[in-house]
Amino acid sequence: MRLLIIEDYKPLQQSLTKGLREAGFAVDSTRDGKEGLWYAMGNEYDVIILDLMLPGMDGLEILKKMRTQGRKSHVLILTAKDTVQDRVTGLNLGADDYLVKPFAFKELLARINALLRRGYRQKNPIIKIKDLQIDLSTQKVWRGKEEIQLTPREYALLEYLAMRLGQTISRTDIWEHIYDFNSSASSNVVDVYIGYLRRKIEQPNKHPLIHTIRGRGYVLGVQ
Amino acid sequence: MICSLRTRLLTGIITGMILLLTIFSLLIYVMIRGALVKQFDKSLASVTQILAASVELDVNEVEMEFEVQQMPEFLNEEHPTHFQLWRADGAVIARSPLLDSDNLLRIEGSLNELVHTTSQDKNGRPQRIVGLTFMPRLANSERKDKGTDNQDSRQLMNQQALTLAVARDAGDLYGQLGFLRWLLLNASTAVIALSFILAAVIVKKGLRPLNSIAAEIATIKEDSLTTRITTEDVPTEVVQIKNRLNELLSRLEASFNRERQFNADIAHELRTPLSGLRSTIEVTLTRARDNDEYKRVLFDCEAIVENMQTMVGNLLMLARLDAKQISFQTEQIRLAELVNSCWQQFSDKAIERQITFDNSIEAEITCESDRQNLSIILSNILANAVEYADKGGQIRTTACNKDGSVELAVSNTGCQLTADQVAQVFDSFWRGDLSRSDTGTHCGLGLALVERLIRALGGNAFAELQSGGIFVIRLTFPEN
Repeated sequence: MRLLIIEDYKPLQQSLTKGLREAGFAVDSTRDGKEGLWYAMGNEYDVIILDLMLPGMDGLEILKKMRTQGRKSHVLILTAKDTVQDRVTGLNLGADDYLVKPFAFKELLARINALLRRGYRQKNPIIKIKDLQIDLSTQKVWRGKEEIQLTPREYALLEYLAMRLGQTISRTDIWEHIYDFNSSASSNVVDVYIGYLRRKIEQPNKHPLIHTIRGRGYVLGVQ
Repeated sequence: MICSLRTRLLTGIITGMILLLTIFSLLIYVMIRGALVKQFDKSLASVTQILAASVELDVNEVEMEFEVQQMPEFLNEEHPTHFQLWRADGAVIARSPLLDSDNLLRIEGSLNELVHTTSQDKNGRPQRIVGLTFMPRLANSERKDKGTDNQDSRQLMNQQALTLAVARDAGDLYGQLGFLRWLLLNASTAVIALSFILAAVIVKKGLRPLNSIAAEIATIKEDSLTTRITTEDVPTEVVQIKNRLNELLSRLEASFNRERQFNADIAHELRTPLSGLRSTIEVTLTRARDNDEYKRVLFDCEAIVENMQTMVGNLLMLARLDAKQISFQTEQIRLAELVNSCWQQFSDKAIERQITFDNSIEAEITCESDRQNLSIILSNILANAVEYADKGGQIRTTACNKDGSVELAVSNTGCQLTADQVAQVFDSFWRGDLSRSDTGTHCGLGLALVERLIRALGGNAFAELQSGGIFVIRLTFPEN
């Protein structure tokens, strides 16, 4: 899942970027409003974490521009402004959630996950495909009764495939959602990771779950 | 003494009414009394003259015509008129029939000038008396014509000068005057009582606009300062009060809004570093890290805390300045030295940013001021200059004496502000960082504090933009 952080206070921006990357997200981040808008317009982020008082361009302005241009990314406003009017203005301009500073990092994480599930119409935090079980909140994966250990990147890939269960997803799509802007990897790396994931998840006596659709991409599910 | 406007107006009106009515009543009474007494005395005088004319001197006998003595007024027992006639030696010659043996007051007056007075008769009733000393007419006119011996005649005449007193009962007159007094007193009292009621109504009605304004003011609470006094139909005098009150409300509202904005800004400015602190700590705690990383995080947190401490210190200083709780201790200060000592704390950062510092203040320029507060001012200005000067730029300080005051200027290159923005640099929480990212590091209180502090020290601060992006802060303050 790919996130964008637009926050001008350096310690917060840095710690959030670090924390969210460690949580398995592909994170782009910037401290400038205009740059933030440029990022938001150029990429399909799953969630954008947006501060309101920004140098260069106001957070609400970014939100308005994004929405008028038809960008569908979920937006979580992160600000020190806490009046009802501020919240209402933000939500009315198309924000999906609002978190007042200072906040608990765990809460931010939970809200991001909730937004992601909402985005992929996945209300249940536990996704089951046959005997494969993915717990989105603890990021743990089981096949039958056996827990499968995945690297953060492998988990991010599986999570994205699971969120779009049964849909064919292109390599570019996958690449865009699990790699951040600064990553040098190309979309070929997706095939490599699909290979890693298959090795860990697929078992010889069980149904194959990750399928390759030639020329189109991959799909997770039972065929 | 403070009393209500209503009481004051009523007291004034009623006192005025009492005074006017008393004066008018007295005037009317005196005039009517004078006229009545004059009329009474006139009729008494004519009786006296008739009586005097009826007295005849016959040889040595003085006679009064009997008919005259029997005139009806001398016999009227209800309102009696009395007379009494004396010789010059005091012997009584005649007295009116009703007088019996009583004596009237003997008053001497002349024909031209009758003497009137008021006394009481034996029953205690008031009476007016008139006195007249005259020469009786001689019964034999021939003797008078012959004119024997002039001296004898004169002697005789002297002996024959008579005194006549006529007294008339004045009960009716004084009764009428008494009634007049009663009438005037009661009428005045009634008028005063009625005017009190009338004045009370008028005053109440007159003061109604004030009451309605007071009622409106009573509804204004500190959280409803947007309301204005809207009472219509107010008299011109009160319109002024109403307008002034509305202006006062506007000023109060603006000041409350500023205060609210200031508090909101404080909350915002404190929340931002707090969120940074919390997030940094929480993210670090999500998993085990190596020692170097913990150390790095602690240094980051320390920097955040230091910034917060500076900000809280500035806020406290501003609050104390507002409450006038800062006392100053003046001493002779060498400005060049003070600037150099303030610069110490920024020199590292300046080297890092390749900024050159040029202190051009001449060593002999001094001023008398508070050292501690002046160094806070200078440190804030220098901190600002180091922060906003361009990399490789220059900071320069100059000073000069100018008719009794010192002018100190700190300039830095690389200013990216517009002239409009420069005009705002002394506002609290204003930051010229629309193109710069420094949230949490600088909260826009430094220059606000500079301006407030220099004013408390009796000086002034100005900011200006010179060509070539040179930003100058100029301080003027008294030499002594």
